[in-house]
Amino acid sequence: MNPGDRVHVVRGGTEYEGVLMPSTTADRLVVKLDGGYNVGIDRAEAELDVLESNVYDVEGARDGEGGSEIQFDEALPTVSLISTGGTIASTVDYRTGAVTAQFDAEDVLRAVPDLAGRANYRGRVVANILSENMTPDVWQELAGAVHEEIEAGADGVVVMHGTDTMQFTASALAFILDTPVPVVFTGSQRSADRPSSDNVMNAVCAVEAAKADCAEVLVCMHATESDDRCALHRSTRVRKNHTSRRNAFETVGAEPLGVVDYDDETVDFRRSYDERGAADLAIHPGLETEVELVKFTPGMSFDRVERLADAAGLVVEGTGLGHVHTDLVPTFREMVESGTPVVMTSQCIEGRVCDRVYDTGRDLLDAGVIEAGDTLPGTAKVKLMWALANVAPESVPETMRTPLAGELTDRSTPWQ
Amino acid sequence: MDHDRDYDYADLGLVAGLEIHQQLDTATKLFCDCPTARREPDTSDRRFARYLHPTRSELGEIDEAALEESRVDREFEYLAFDTTCLVEEDDEPPHRLDEEALETTLEIAALLDMEVVDSVQVMRKIVVDGSNTSGFQRSSLVATDGAIETSEGPVGVTDMLLEEESAQRVSETEAGVRYGLDRLGIPLVEIGTAPDIRSPAQAREAAERIGMLLRSTGKVKRGLGTIRQDVNVSVAEGARIELKGVQSLDDIDDIVRLEVHRQVRLLELRDELRERDAAVGDPQDVTGTFADTDSGVIAGASTVMAVPLYGFDGVVGAEIQPDRRLGTELSDHAKRHGAGGIFHTDELPAYGVTAAEVDALRDAVDAGGSDAVAIVAADREVAEAAIEAVAERAGTALEGVPEETRDANEDGTSRYLRPLPGAARMYPETDVPPVEPDPAGVETPELLTEKVERYQSEYGLDAGLAEQVAYGRRMPAFETAVGRGIDPTTAATTLESTVTEIRRRDAPVENLTDEHLLDTLDLVEADDLAKEGIGEVLTVLAEQPDLSAEAAVDEAGLSGVDEAEVREAVAEVVERNADQVDAEGMGAFSALMGECMGALRGKADGEVVSDVLREEIQQRL
Repeated sequence: MNPGDRVHVVRGGTEYEGVLMPSTTADRLVVKLDGGYNVGIDRAEAELDVLESNVYDVEGARDGEGGSEIQFDEALPTVSLISTGGTIASTVDYRTGAVTAQFDAEDVLRAVPDLAGRANYRGRVVANILSENMTPDVWQELAGAVHEEIEAGADGVVVMHGTDTMQFTASALAFILDTPVPVVFTGSQRSADRPSSDNVMNAVCAVEAAKADCAEVLVCMHATESDDRCALHRSTRVRKNHTSRRNAFETVGAEPLGVVDYDDETVDFRRSYDERGAADLAIHPGLETEVELVKFTPGMSFDRVERLADAAGLVVEGTGLGHVHTDLVPTFREMVESGTPVVMTSQCIEGRVCDRVYDTGRDLLDAGVIEAGDTLPGTAKVKLMWALANVAPESVPETMRTPLAGELTDRSTPWQ
Repeated sequence: MDHDRDYDYADLGLVAGLEIHQQLDTATKLFCDCPTARREPDTSDRRFARYLHPTRSELGEIDEAALEESRVDREFEYLAFDTTCLVEEDDEPPHRLDEEALETTLEIAALLDMEVVDSVQVMRKIVVDGSNTSGFQRSSLVATDGAIETSEGPVGVTDMLLEEESAQRVSETEAGVRYGLDRLGIPLVEIGTAPDIRSPAQAREAAERIGMLLRSTGKVKRGLGTIRQDVNVSVAEGARIELKGVQSLDDIDDIVRLEVHRQVRLLELRDELRERDAAVGDPQDVTGTFADTDSGVIAGASTVMAVPLYGFDGVVGAEIQPDRRLGTELSDHAKRHGAGGIFHTDELPAYGVTAAEVDALRDAVDAGGSDAVAIVAADREVAEAAIEAVAERAGTALEGVPEETRDANEDGTSRYLRPLPGAARMYPETDVPPVEPDPAGVETPELLTEKVERYQSEYGLDAGLAEQVAYGRRMPAFETAVGRGIDPTTAATTLESTVTEIRRRDAPVENLTDEHLLDTLDLVEADDLAKEGIGEVLTVLAEQPDLSAEAAVDEAGLSGVDEAEVREAVAEVVERNADQVDAEGMGAFSALMGECMGALRGKADGEVVSDVLREEIQQRL
């Protein structure tokens, strides 16, 4: 008796006939009845006959028949689709009953037929993981893959990524790569196996953005709750600000950099950007992984903060303008003196740190804490990882105070 | 009339089954904590727009109905309210299955003598017409294998589903359809019977029986649109037809009868067409033929497409249901693809199309006198798709009755809606964990039929009033009132007759809550209000629902009548009619009673007045 078998089950006086499906629990049989419904039946109470073996290939059902014959059209630009896993390319996993990534880039083409005719595609799978399982070595591998794709002639790159940590990976690529073409991250907040998935519009808009003129690392996701347009966010300024909404991603401290209209397929930018071809392709993949991001909250254990002294670098999400409890200041001073840079950001998320206003702030500056301006805490962590591996130790403070990839702005103009 | 033919249904091999959809009256929706309140579209405070894309089922198949739906590329607009949340907007995962809804479902399962499954698995039933923001309806099979009795024998109840109600279609927009989210997510049970029904009357009886059982729980929604019946009908040589959206129980027998007639007629037409060696030709562009037409419909279109129907002359115009012809079926298919409808030669010349144009049309597609031609006038894309659909449906006429889903019309006829949905339209809803129901703790309610009996034997209501109360919307209020010690006849009369009376006098009785009614009855029971004043107090409460019952008594000017005032008023009446009393003695009682009641304007209880009057007359004699 295996999933996919056609079975007849007697339980009490009731009979069920259908296809046996994989079950999430050991004590329940799950049978798909002819009407399409699944029912759970107590395994211990059930008498089961297999009527016919292997009626359905349950595991392979999703693969389906081809249908996405990829043809090359010289008139179209070439866009590389790189898959790392995530909701945009996911389907039901019968083992856990949850949604996991099972698609590669070509499956995305099959799943999103609307992509056809917009570009010549090159597909590539770098990883097949949920984005919460993302690690810095995958960021480096991905950066290498993007570098290779651009070197091989891609006019733009679309990276399909789970939304949970998309902002970290996208930021990492912004620091690691100098790119002459757009590198556009996209994903979906509703899994691809539902008709309402946002994957179709997000993928279409991401490809349009990858063909556009802005040679930066961007995040392309729904701008509103409607399927009308996608926002293009600068990767170092974007944050997932909602657990479930389609328009969860927001540019912090400003309007999004650009917008892709789904209906008329236009791409418009609100502010200046790095133009296509302006930069020479380069890669600086080094990352120092021993960097921690700590959020200060009232009542937190100072001992545990002290135990972070052996980290290569520390980013602090302070309160307000960039503060922590006064009693933590000596701990930070010792860290800085022993060679662990301490970088201050704010848990307010909006706004920039300024440690010159209150005494605690001045004490922190005196202790050698580096102000990260309006750099987002998560972005600051990625930037510090990159800086520690790519610039001389004495230059790290200045690097953290200097914008490298749009992560740090000079003027606070949130209405723009 | 042809459609009034007296059929022998057993002979025809009529097989019918029912699908009954009933909304449950729960506090919250099935997968979120929003109230199950219906709203007017103009109270919406947000709107947004979406597209849907068909996906594969877990068995790798795409549903035919879903696919046809998706060919029509449409934008769906949704109206949100202050009573809806992100779950209805498909912008938040569903919460757990509502316990109250599951409990009610188990109660219904017990009434239908059904077996409850060991674990309820929530499924996604693909629906891409926009009526669900997610593109699927969440649905679960809760029980199987039940039965109900009818006078023509038992009817099996195959399954009962607990599912979420879809969004209400509000209007068409330029780009697609507009839906309201207020209805989306209200718990709905779908009860499917076995194809055990053998006559139109039995179909109606079975539906009535199930409706009675549902209402016996006291936990189902009432009113227009809260219960919908689908009927599956086929005759021996015909095909299974799913008739959707029958709103009224009274129509079910008519609908079955007219569907049988439609299938019989389609089979008769098939035989005739076969005898004539009929055939469907290839669609052709005949725009040139109508270059100078006076027909507004045709002149307004860029393209006219025609399909020759060889051997169809007279058949396209043949009636298959009252005021519906084979041509109407062809037209339904054209409409489905965006065309306004079709013209065919059986009805032409007409609508501004001249006899000369009809001749030219026949020439253009090489159709002779025994042939028919159908045309569609629209934009090129629409006209081409629509004429293909017309040709396909005309071809099916040669085979007999096509399997399909049809929409019930109000007059008992029906129109083509879409192909029958396949079984492949479902896959598991992984966001909702399976639930283990516990049918052991379920208590079955007293049936409405049993209530009618009890109201007569225990409370002394007459049969008519007992039935009115038991089946009425105010039944729970009646039971509460009687439980509080209120006289059953007074309670029943008030809840049914009095409310009906004041409604006829245009009182807005829909504003009356159970609290209004019960508080008013309490005042009667406490002798603070005469029975005769109930109507007036309820009228005041209906007009000013914010008032308390006591305040309404004051407002109606019915307060503060004690026996002294009654005696004063009665004495006055007796005084005024002293001559009559002297002459007739107690014989004057009836005449004076009316006058006394009038003088007291219903402020006093009739029995008190009658006692006092009797005394006053006695005194004079």
